[in-house]
Amino acid sequence: MSQRTERRGIHVDQSDLLCKKGCGYYGNAAWQGLCSKCWREEYQRVRQKQIQDDWALAEKLQREEEAAYASVHGAQALSHSQPAASQPHTGHASLGAFSKFEEKKTNEKTRKVTTVKKFFSPSSRTASKKETQEGKTPSPSISRHASFDTEQVSKDFVDFLKNLQKPGREIHKQCRAFIVNMSSKKDLGADELSECVQDFYQNLADRLMSHFKGSSESVEQVMDQVEKYIMTRLYKSVFCPETTDDEKKDLATQNRIRALHWVTIEMLCVSMDEEIPEVSENVVKAITDVIEMDSKRVPRDKLACITRCSKHIFSAIRITKNEPASADDFLPALIYIVLKANPPRLQSNIQYITRFCNPSRLMTGEDGYYFTNLCCAAAFIEKLDAQSLNLSPEEFERYMSGQASPRLNNSEGEWPHSGSAVGVTPTNPVLAQLNHNLEMLSGLSSRQESLMEAAQSLQADLIAWPKNVQREVNDILEKYPLEIMSRTVSAIDANNMDNDQLPPPLTPQVFAG
Amino acid sequence: MSAMRVDAKVVMLGKESVGKTSLVERYVHHRFLVGPYQNTIGAAFVAKPIQVGDKVITLGIWDTAGSERYEAMSRIYYRGARAAIVCYDLTDSSSFQRARFWVKELQNCEEHCKIYLCGTKNDMIEADRSLRQIDYHDAQDFAEEIGAQHFETSSKSGNNVDELFHKVAEDYNNNAFQYMTAEDTGVDLGQKKDSYFYSCCHN
Repeated sequence: MSQRTERRGIHVDQSDLLCKKGCGYYGNAAWQGLCSKCWREEYQRVRQKQIQDDWALAEKLQREEEAAYASVHGAQALSHSQPAASQPHTGHASLGAFSKFEEKKTNEKTRKVTTVKKFFSPSSRTASKKETQEGKTPSPSISRHASFDTEQVSKDFVDFLKNLQKPGREIHKQCRAFIVNMSSKKDLGADELSECVQDFYQNLADRLMSHFKGSSESVEQVMDQVEKYIMTRLYKSVFCPETTDDEKKDLATQNRIRALHWVTIEMLCVSMDEEIPEVSENVVKAITDVIEMDSKRVPRDKLACITRCSKHIFSAIRITKNEPASADDFLPALIYIVLKANPPRLQSNIQYITRFCNPSRLMTGEDGYYFTNLCCAAAFIEKLDAQSLNLSPEEFERYMSGQASPRLNNSEGEWPHSGSAVGVTPTNPVLAQLNHNLEMLSGLSSRQESLMEAAQSLQADLIAWPKNVQREVNDILEKYPLEIMSRTVSAIDANNMDNDQLPPPLTPQVFAG
Repeated sequence: MSAMRVDAKVVMLGKESVGKTSLVERYVHHRFLVGPYQNTIGAAFVAKPIQVGDKVITLGIWDTAGSERYEAMSRIYYRGARAAIVCYDLTDSSSFQRARFWVKELQNCEEHCKIYLCGTKNDMIEADRSLRQIDYHDAQDFAEEIGAQHFETSSKSGNNVDELFHKVAEDYNNNAFQYMTAEDTGVDLGQKKDSYFYSCCHN
């Protein structure tokens, strides 16, 4: 493409200013050195070609799909007479789906063109051209997602610059030129790329400073937006570039942190008590934040993640100690968090921030402070040895090789020789727990046995008891047999046998009176 | 976000428990927390604006971990610093040895960083002169030798604390002015250019 020959950036030679087609008008770096008229023609041509390519690809895919379908259903075609009808049907369906997708894509494109056109029309062409180029990448789903983000950022950027009137247009022009310029420099080493970006920041900041008459706040504001815009666009090509060994370092750090899984909070002298729910909550949040860093694109957003993580650590320490924390507490805690989190691509992220962040932020501000601490933590973990954990070299070796675990150190004074008496002296907490459980189980089973015995004896007792009672009752019955005696006592009224001996009842007498 | 713009980075260096944090705490919040062991007061980063003449300079004060186990990393901390306050405990001669170590490091690695030598816990000396282990004149000689300012402060009474930080801000202001007129740049990114590209962990 013509971009390959494109070498122009901000500094342009007088002779290079003319349109490359030689039509006599002035060219523009943003239009790849062409004048507006030639550029439009060129752009239309490229775009048409792109669309044709897309269609060709789509047709090819469709044919392949049909072929695949035919081969799968070929066998069935012999027995059923359907496939002749069903085959075109599927072919049509896939075509339908695709054309819908194509429609969506063009919709997106046109939407973008219109939004940006409102403000600054040539930019839209470069932007959408970029997108069509991106569409060619082997994994379309990823790039489409990414370009959506990019689109959003571009839109925000344009919106932001609108408020600035003329200088805004100037800034936009510069940024675009810079991005185009950078895309032709993909082969450069990471340090050179970093230098380019930093030079650009510096130049732009200088210009803005004279523009805003030294109001550093507005300069800072603009610079933040510029950083966001530029780095979102450049992220893919400059994050963990192939020219560096960042990836190797990432893997090394990751493995290192994994190997250090046994490091305890006490060894690092961290003053956080995870038993307190509030503290552990903060610890979890801190871990989440430091992991989240990898998902951000803009250096400033990555820094914000680190700062949030640090704030959580501070509150965890404050809750534990009941007083505000200092650097002496903070750094060990951060190291602990990094060890626990094992953040993805830690080294790449650190390098990326170092290379492409706006330097004034990195060197002085609060974000810079926390970032520096993260760098320290990473360096500490890399160089960590027995001495830095207050351990003897032998102990350190044993932990590193996984022969021993420090967690039992307190409960057991002596270390077993590895391999001997594994069952008796557990070498790691899981085994200890297992043994403990086994002991409890055997205790339980013996108790259950005695319970069973007791139950059985109780049952025997219960069976024996009624017999005993019966026997006793019988004994007593034998001893004191039931005798039914004749009635000796008679009732007074029942027997009138002595009635005769009794004087006759008084009879009423009448006295003459 | 912490939007406060910081002009100059100032690092606090010194052995554990010499009172770096207390010093910052006293200066920023005008308080001194009492306790048997004072190594944990205040936050680790503070941005403090200071009025110097008719200008306001914001110092970003970086507290550092003083423990020897992090000594190898201290270089990362003071990179790009405009001023370093190297603290030592007036009642602890070993802390002065450590201060000498940091001074040497700073001179080797960070030539643009101004050094301020600060003896702490002056109130304890005033209460009992026999506690003094670092002679004032020895320290003064050392400071002159390395071209540093020398202060003896007390975070407890606040003695000399404001003076120290004010001097830091004043010196920065003077230097920055020179820097700006010399280079004729509108931006205050007063570092060597290559200092942007420091590699954090691999040197």
